[in-house]
Amino acid sequence: MVATRALAADARNPGRQTREGAAALAARMPRLVLEARRVSSLLAHGLHGRRRAGPGESFWQFRPFVTGEAAARIDWRRSARDDRLYVREREWEAAHNIWLWIDRSGSMGFSSDLAQASKVDRALVLGLALADAFVEGGERVGLLGLTRPTASRRIVERMAEALVGDEGGLGEDLPPRAEPGRFDEAILLSDFLTPPERIAAAVREIAGRGCRGHLVAIADPIEETFPFAGQAVLHDPETGLSRDIGDAGSWGEAYRARIGRHRAALAEIARGSGWTLTLHRTDRPASEAALRLATLIAARGAG
Amino acid sequence: MFGLTFAAPLALAALVGLPALWFLLRVTPPRPRRIAFPPLKIVADLLPQRQTPARTPPWLLILRLLAAAALILAVAGPVWNPQGLGAGGGRNALLVLVDNGASAAHDWRARMRVATDTVAAASRDGRPVALVGLAEPSAAIEARTPAAALERLRALAPRPHLAQRAAHLPAIGAFLEKNGGAGLVWISDGVAGVETDAFTGPLADLAARYEAAPTLLRADTPPALALTGSEGAGKLTARVLRAAPNGRERGTVRALDQRGLPLAEHDFTFAADALEADAPLDLPVELRNGISRLEVAGERAAGAVVLMDERGRRRRVGLVFGGTSDQAQPLLAPTYYLAKALQPFADVQEPRGAKGTAESIGQLLDAQVSVLVLADVGAMDERTAARVEKFVDAGGLLLRFAGPRLAAGNDPLVPVRLRRGGRNLGGTLSWDSPRTLAPFAPESPFAGLAPPADIGVRRQILAEPDGDLPGRTWASLQDGTPIVTAQTRGQGRVVLFHVTADTTWSNLPLSGLFIDMLRRVVALAGTAAPPTDGGPRPPAAILAPRLVLDGFGALGSPPASAKAVAADYGDRASAEHPPGFYGPADGGIAVNVLRPGDGLKPLDLARFGAARTGTLTGAETLDLRPALFTFALMLLALDTLAGLWLGGFLAGGLGRLRGRPAALALAALLALPLLAPRPAGAQEPPANRPNGIESALVTRLAYVVTGDAAVDEASRAGLTGLTQMLAARTALEPGEPAGIDPAKDELAFYPLIYWPIAPGRPQPPEAAIRRIDAFMRNGGTVLFDTRDGLTARPGAPPSPEALYLRRMLATLEVPELEPVPPDHVLTKAFYLLDSFPGRYASGETWVEALPPAGEGGERRPARAGDGVSPIIITGNDLAAAWAIGRRGEPLYPVVGGDQRQREMAFRGGVNIVMYTLTGNYKADQVHVPALLERLGQ
Repeated sequence: MVATRALAADARNPGRQTREGAAALAARMPRLVLEARRVSSLLAHGLHGRRRAGPGESFWQFRPFVTGEAAARIDWRRSARDDRLYVREREWEAAHNIWLWIDRSGSMGFSSDLAQASKVDRALVLGLALADAFVEGGERVGLLGLTRPTASRRIVERMAEALVGDEGGLGEDLPPRAEPGRFDEAILLSDFLTPPERIAAAVREIAGRGCRGHLVAIADPIEETFPFAGQAVLHDPETGLSRDIGDAGSWGEAYRARIGRHRAALAEIARGSGWTLTLHRTDRPASEAALRLATLIAARGAG
Repeated sequence: MFGLTFAAPLALAALVGLPALWFLLRVTPPRPRRIAFPPLKIVADLLPQRQTPARTPPWLLILRLLAAAALILAVAGPVWNPQGLGAGGGRNALLVLVDNGASAAHDWRARMRVATDTVAAASRDGRPVALVGLAEPSAAIEARTPAAALERLRALAPRPHLAQRAAHLPAIGAFLEKNGGAGLVWISDGVAGVETDAFTGPLADLAARYEAAPTLLRADTPPALALTGSEGAGKLTARVLRAAPNGRERGTVRALDQRGLPLAEHDFTFAADALEADAPLDLPVELRNGISRLEVAGERAAGAVVLMDERGRRRRVGLVFGGTSDQAQPLLAPTYYLAKALQPFADVQEPRGAKGTAESIGQLLDAQVSVLVLADVGAMDERTAARVEKFVDAGGLLLRFAGPRLAAGNDPLVPVRLRRGGRNLGGTLSWDSPRTLAPFAPESPFAGLAPPADIGVRRQILAEPDGDLPGRTWASLQDGTPIVTAQTRGQGRVVLFHVTADTTWSNLPLSGLFIDMLRRVVALAGTAAPPTDGGPRPPAAILAPRLVLDGFGALGSPPASAKAVAADYGDRASAEHPPGFYGPADGGIAVNVLRPGDGLKPLDLARFGAARTGTLTGAETLDLRPALFTFALMLLALDTLAGLWLGGFLAGGLGRLRGRPAALALAALLALPLLAPRPAGAQEPPANRPNGIESALVTRLAYVVTGDAAVDEASRAGLTGLTQMLAARTALEPGEPAGIDPAKDELAFYPLIYWPIAPGRPQPPEAAIRRIDAFMRNGGTVLFDTRDGLTARPGAPPSPEALYLRRMLATLEVPELEPVPPDHVLTKAFYLLDSFPGRYASGETWVEALPPAGEGGERRPARAGDGVSPIIITGNDLAAAWAIGRRGEPLYPVVGGDQRQREMAFRGGVNIVMYTLTGNYKADQVHVPALLERLGQ
């Protein structure tokens, strides 16, 4: 018979093992080269070189001064070496922001014998790995409502530190109120075991300013299949709710129908905002979901 | 008698309740499982589909019903094959008589089992039980609770003396009178003892008179064997006895010395229906004197053991010399020759501090000698002469040697009338040459001895030619004059050698014949104190028990009930005087279960015909209660576990173990130490743990196990390689090399011990050093290998290996060492070598320094000291060069420029082994030409 297990609050924070797992997963993923969307030069510079001259920080080339240009652009040091005047051009660099939110509420700290890891572990590994991959690809990644987007090489450690520092997040079932910018992307990693209305409200709020987004619903296999039989008492680790369901075998059928409807409602929410929904079961490898997300974001960028 | 009965059959009625229990259990399901399930909050409004509980799983139901049934059955008290003894006896008392005399030890366990069954049966019936061991001292008999009787039964052991059953008759009568209708069970060994049976008849009478129901339990034929020993005609005869033909037709009598080492064995075979079988033990006197115990091999009973005491052993011989007591030349005194000749087979005593012949003789007679030797004692005073005469009459042997004093005196204590003076043969004034002895006559005690031709008698005392002289002559010269005469007087003998006991008259005392003659003479001596057969006698010394046999024939310290015996005690052992050794170790006596002439008689059971009889192999009673209770308990424990599992409580604990295989592995792990208890010693390296016998039979090389696995493996492989090389090239075929621990293993078997130095290991214990020291002193050679040829440099600070060796050898007596000189025999022992390379070629090899070569002596190619150098020290890591793998491939590369270094290492090893085995053989002059030729000089 399948055994289940709920994790305590401190086990739902990212630990060393999670960070290493995330780094390993990120290393396995193909290097992501994201096409920047149409962003204005007003956007903050990232490390994402465009192979052409433009606003940026790193040197690109010296070109002869064209009459009519502002004299301030002349690079006097280079020009002093001969008789002509030169302008120093920099490489055009651009980046966009990706916001992550990882659900660490009580319902996430759950695993069964059938799963490879608990849901929260999987969510953390996925989130941190994606963050690392995006930073490698030149994007900036931030935690929704927690940190500013950065492109630090130590993004995994910094995100993990921020998560550990955020005590309040351990009880939050929905993303915090935040309004990412217009061309940003939001990735919400959660089990979405909340009434669909509340999820819809939260998603609408984030998508309000035109931010694109992806919902990643992480589920334990037994939450999908409910393989129990015999007398059972169900117990919710998050709310402390307890319920005698009588014969688990017959109750399971009703449950599966209900959870199916819930997933359908989630898909509807995502479609309504132009977002995507990814359903990930913890008995599947994490790289599966990571690849799908990377592909989705890359495709979105290309489009 | 076979079958299943219940002690409380009414309890079986509770089995009717099982169907009700079935119904009750069926509707009581196990606790529901508790499942952590996060999606509950979004589906909390789903109602339970079916609230009626599921049924208890059928296997759980069956488990519980089985447990209940087992409990009910256990309470009912089932017994398999109950002994039928108590069946008819009601609640009356039961008297159990158990034979536990000397003849009961052989089948004691069967008897105990039957007795336990009997008492257990009485316990089930609630009968009081009285238990009597028939070899115990008689006492009043009281019935007790069966539990107390069982306790007493467990304390019962076979006694080492014959049972005096008749002594218990009055007590048995009193008991039967008090407890009318009591049951009577006699668990017998079937042996009546030495006398005819005086117990069975009266017991049957008693049983009839008091209407006791007698039951006799015994083996079909009494299986016990007993042993007596008798001595006659200088031969020791063991006689095996049995009470009735019992199918044990053959066996072995074994003679053991004081330390329990076997000295001789002799098979015995009973003739058909015979009750006695003789096993003559024909042994040299020296061996025979060493025997302290005869036993029937494998019998393990006090009756089958005969203890031998001093009385049957070495004769005590007293020596008196008639000459002056303060001898200027003690090695020329006649007593010296006599003492030397007698000591191998007799206990020689000389008077201590006595002045004069009379006092000496008195002192020795007081010491109860059995042979009195008077060497050249002339006239004795009357009191002494009377005493000696009495001694001879009482069985003593008087052995006299002639001499000037005897020749001059006139003495009645001689076997024949003597002429005064002597006869000179071969002197300057005589025509005769010294005479030698004539062959001994067949009737002489010396018959069979061959007198050597070079015996010369120069002087003798002559006997008067009386008519009875030929009958008294034991030996004579070639001309017929008697040289040894003897006469029987009373129970004893007087023997006279007509020559002196020293070499002044003849060279007889120098010959081996003299010893043989003395041995035969002394063997004729009787015992000084024959066993008492009643009648008033002077009180003898009182001897306290020293070692006493128990019922199984093992010697131990005497019990508190053992009492001292008189020194002339000759009776059978009894409860007060258990068999064993009494008195001091060098002069005590032995008391045995049986006397030499005894025989065993069976019980006369004709009068007992009406009684029920049974055999000792009777029904095996099995009380099923404990097994059933255990079964029920295990089922209940299983039920509890199953309940926990169904309730999901076990899942939490075992969940971390990732399912069942891990749990099974854990259980197996826990059960492992129970199934296979392994001694800690089993962890020692399996490498050829030396076994003493094997090492003693085969010459083997040995290495010291240092505890450093790499070094030990190299040593083992290295010596294996050298062993194979020796077998292939030389006549020596050593056995598998042995890994030894000098602190524990016997070193004497190994000619050469290879000791690699592992500086990381602790120093060997002091005991090991001492044993190595002894090994080296006794001719063994230890080859120390510091294995530092690569790192050690002359003049540099010593390497850790060298320091280790230095510390180890600090307390050893190491001879002066020198590097192997070119002419050392070690370089010539098999191959002609210059150096002894190993894995490294740079190290020096050190041996015991040879004595410096003689100045003027010719130069020899090989030189050796007296023995083999006890120590060889090298740093070349020889074993690594010799080491070969299983397919014969070398295991370690050699370090050095020479292509043939490994070959040279093998040659060096062969030389070292040959040197330790042959010593300085090759240094012998004989080999010089061959060596010179091979050396090309």
